[in-house]
Amino acid sequence: MNGSSVAEPPDFQAATAAAAAAARASSSEQDEWIVSECGFLDPEVQRTMRSGSAAEDITQYPMHGWVDVTREFHDACAELQPGELAQDMLFGLFEAMSAIEIMDPKMDVGMGFDKQDLPPPSFEAAIATGAIKLDDLTPSELIGIYDALFSCLVSWLEGNSMDQVLFTCLYLHAPSQIKDNALRVFCTAVRNLIVVIKNIIAVAAVNEEEDFQLYGNSALLAAEKAQPAAVYSSLKDVEDQLVRKCKKLTATEDWMAVVHRLRFMRHLFQVIYHVEQMASNDTVDDKVDIYKILLVASEMLPGIRNTLDRGTQPEKGSEAPNPMGFSPRIHDRSQPPAFPRSIKIRDRPASYQFLEEMISRFKYACKVTKYKDYYSALNFFIEYSKKSGQCILSRSVLQSLFSANMRMAHGKLPMKQFLRYSVQNFNSPPVLNAKHAVAADPKVQQHLENFFRYCINMNTFTQFIRICGFNRARQRDKLARLIEIFDPIQVDAARLDSMMNQLANERAMEGNEPLATALRHSTHFSTWVLYNCFRAMLIFLMSGFELELYAVHEFLYIYWYPYEFLIGFLVSALTRTENILLAQEEYADHQSKIQTGGGGASKNRKAAKPKKNKKQQRPYRAEIVFYHALLSLCGGMYKAMGALTKDGRVRLPLSKFDNEEIRYNRRFLPFAALTSPPPVSYAEFKNIREHMMRPSVEDLYTYAAKHFDQARNVLESIQNPDQEMLDLLQIARTNFVVMNVLARGHQKEVKRQPEFDFSKHSYFPIIKLK
Amino acid sequence: MEDDASGAVLLKKDQTSSYEETDLVEKDHPTFVEEEVLQVKDGHGSPEKTVLAAKEKPTSTEETLKVEEKVLKQYTFCVFQEESHLGVLQSLIDKELSEPYSIYTYRYFVYNWPDLCFFALDGGRYVGVIVCKLESILGEFLQGYIAMLAVDVEYRKRGIGRALSEMAIDAMAMKNAAMIVLETELTNKPALALYQSLGFIRERRLLRYYMNGVDAFRLKLMLHDSRDLPLSED
Repeated sequence: MNGSSVAEPPDFQAATAAAAAAARASSSEQDEWIVSECGFLDPEVQRTMRSGSAAEDITQYPMHGWVDVTREFHDACAELQPGELAQDMLFGLFEAMSAIEIMDPKMDVGMGFDKQDLPPPSFEAAIATGAIKLDDLTPSELIGIYDALFSCLVSWLEGNSMDQVLFTCLYLHAPSQIKDNALRVFCTAVRNLIVVIKNIIAVAAVNEEEDFQLYGNSALLAAEKAQPAAVYSSLKDVEDQLVRKCKKLTATEDWMAVVHRLRFMRHLFQVIYHVEQMASNDTVDDKVDIYKILLVASEMLPGIRNTLDRGTQPEKGSEAPNPMGFSPRIHDRSQPPAFPRSIKIRDRPASYQFLEEMISRFKYACKVTKYKDYYSALNFFIEYSKKSGQCILSRSVLQSLFSANMRMAHGKLPMKQFLRYSVQNFNSPPVLNAKHAVAADPKVQQHLENFFRYCINMNTFTQFIRICGFNRARQRDKLARLIEIFDPIQVDAARLDSMMNQLANERAMEGNEPLATALRHSTHFSTWVLYNCFRAMLIFLMSGFELELYAVHEFLYIYWYPYEFLIGFLVSALTRTENILLAQEEYADHQSKIQTGGGGASKNRKAAKPKKNKKQQRPYRAEIVFYHALLSLCGGMYKAMGALTKDGRVRLPLSKFDNEEIRYNRRFLPFAALTSPPPVSYAEFKNIREHMMRPSVEDLYTYAAKHFDQARNVLESIQNPDQEMLDLLQIARTNFVVMNVLARGHQKEVKRQPEFDFSKHSYFPIIKLK
Repeated sequence: MEDDASGAVLLKKDQTSSYEETDLVEKDHPTFVEEEVLQVKDGHGSPEKTVLAAKEKPTSTEETLKVEEKVLKQYTFCVFQEESHLGVLQSLIDKELSEPYSIYTYRYFVYNWPDLCFFALDGGRYVGVIVCKLESILGEFLQGYIAMLAVDVEYRKRGIGRALSEMAIDAMAMKNAAMIVLETELTNKPALALYQSLGFIRERRLLRYYMNGVDAFRLKLMLHDSRDLPLSED
């Protein structure tokens, strides 16, 4: 493909060989080059290779066995024509892109230094020059270091490398050498916290490269052994010491500010360490009440935030988060070769703000223990992700709490038991009822066992919950794949349902009517699987709005699909489920009436019961009502987009390359793999759209207005609406007005595309006429 | 120009053929959004970035198109020929970038795919450039990739960026590309508008993609309607 002028030089290998030979000749006195001296290797590898020798002295410029090949190099270059390139099998144009140009300030980290700059001080150097104190720190110095370390911790949790934030603190390099108790204990706690947090995030495994950097200077971290179990008590001891000290002082406020920070650290550490233990350990002290500890920790925060000014403050113009103890560029030379990335360490008020919000998120995550079945747990995860999706540690903590809780609630085979229990809870198939005679039928049990084992092996349900733990952008990518793997489970669930019905017929033939009735259940298992699949589909589709993936001209078919199909499916799955529950309830009532016969006292008790049951038979009422509102909103948006398009107010792609059918197929591609619901072809969509767009523009606007009005009615009927409902209500009201205005011919001459403002809700915009 | 890049091929682009109206006429297209430098991430991860461009000013599309056709006739277009073009390319793109492109990044693209690098000239002055590559993915499909697009700041809003993009997409389509992809910054509205009007969809959002922490979109233009094409290449 290369043109002649850009072809490889015919003898480039000769040229490189000559250069290599020249290099060999001039270095003949030397031993063979040692790989590590070439400076190409990953610093981690280099460190390992040097292990045994003393830790690398990062303050010294590296002493390599450099050989001057400038002349040979220039000679070799002279043989090349402009545009000719010497390449190697293992180092071609692609690899060369990773090259960093020395002396280019945009690429060369070293260009940040002046010739006069001293190397960044290491821990030892800083002690030798007296730049850091190891003993007798003043309260102000302690507060400054603590606050700076919390800022570094927060910046690390926001995705920066631990080397470039936390380990710029020299005290963290060797806390055991610190003589001041309050500082040593705190720094030890931070180091242990790093290890514990890394574990939690690694085990939860809902992180992506853009969320969090798991790796850092492991040699530094390993230098002192982590002993997380001892942290709590040593923090407590030093707090007590300081409190005793305060009793002898007249002005205690500064020291108390130190104590508050230590106490905050103690509680924060205790929670995070406990979560880690829960995730990895079966035998955890379940008397520790995380929620209570979190409350105590959050109570410490106002006092800490009021005393920020008591600590030493970062110097203006300096990169260090605190004047003493930090050496911001100390790891510049040990970073993997890459372009310099600017590191932003959060300021102190913002860092404590982050910690406060993180603690609220942890408190919220604790509620997951209330949800013992799949339906409610999934709902919780979806909500949590909406509210707390941006913090990797919060997302990981939720995963840990959930799996620990599941283990406790569902015993040895948690996931299988959990799913079994969840189906029972969702639509109560009689075959899952342990009290029922049919539960003892080995054939039935075998089928059930196979089904649930298949669910576990396919990992579909577990995966759905885990996906909710990823960041919002990744969730969508992963949901696309999840939807595809729902298909085999659907097939299996349908098979199980028909198997149960077949067995019912067999039992009926045998004359075992009670067993037959129990087995003759409609579509319990497939309804349960389909319901979850529909939910994944709806989230997938609507998340495109949140992530701003859809162009305005695409809104029409995106809103159309849930309006025409998806929400209807969800409503009918839930309605069917409620009907099944109702029928079972009636049957049970009927049975018990036959069995109990009469009896005055028991009759009275019975009379009170049905009322309670009536309520339980409609467990999905609220969700169904909400879907009705969504349905009207989607319908409103679909017709509004139809009207606006027909009215010439939607910018359409203007290109010979554009093809709506291809776009449509691409957007719905993950659904194409499913048997149920069957994929809807572009041709079908086009027919439906044509039909929808047949009326006049004014009528179309009026129809859209009607949908928004319906949505408003539904939303207004909800008692105790939450904020989301209120926001949707406002959207429905406003769009209702806008559609009516357009229907009356407002701005008829100015065909401008309206603005779609998603600030109230991530799925539905307020339509604004400019 | 496949195997003979030595003969200078100057393309005169007749713009009238480049614009095909859809049956629904766009009445209110913002003026030709002139993208400016679109950010790119090279194949293996050194992130780069794009810088933006101009403000939208609403005028009628037909008018805009007419004006642009007229204006565009004064420009000539050519593909990458020789080493000296590298300097031109670098100077057009470098000043727009906040993040570094090494000379090797340019070399990688233009020496592997010289016929997918187009320049726009006003007389003897180079005023715009687009750099692309075409590779097979999953061993089956050819995927085109727009790595860089830049138009000199004095020449923006004249349809040059669009003309260059269409030229490049045409060239990749001729070679049987199944799709064209690129990445651009969330904040680069002009680029997003240009590609949207060309029929690209925003397929994925890439969080904190650039070194400055800004999110990106992965944009895709499907040229073949194949259900077998992967949903996402990674």
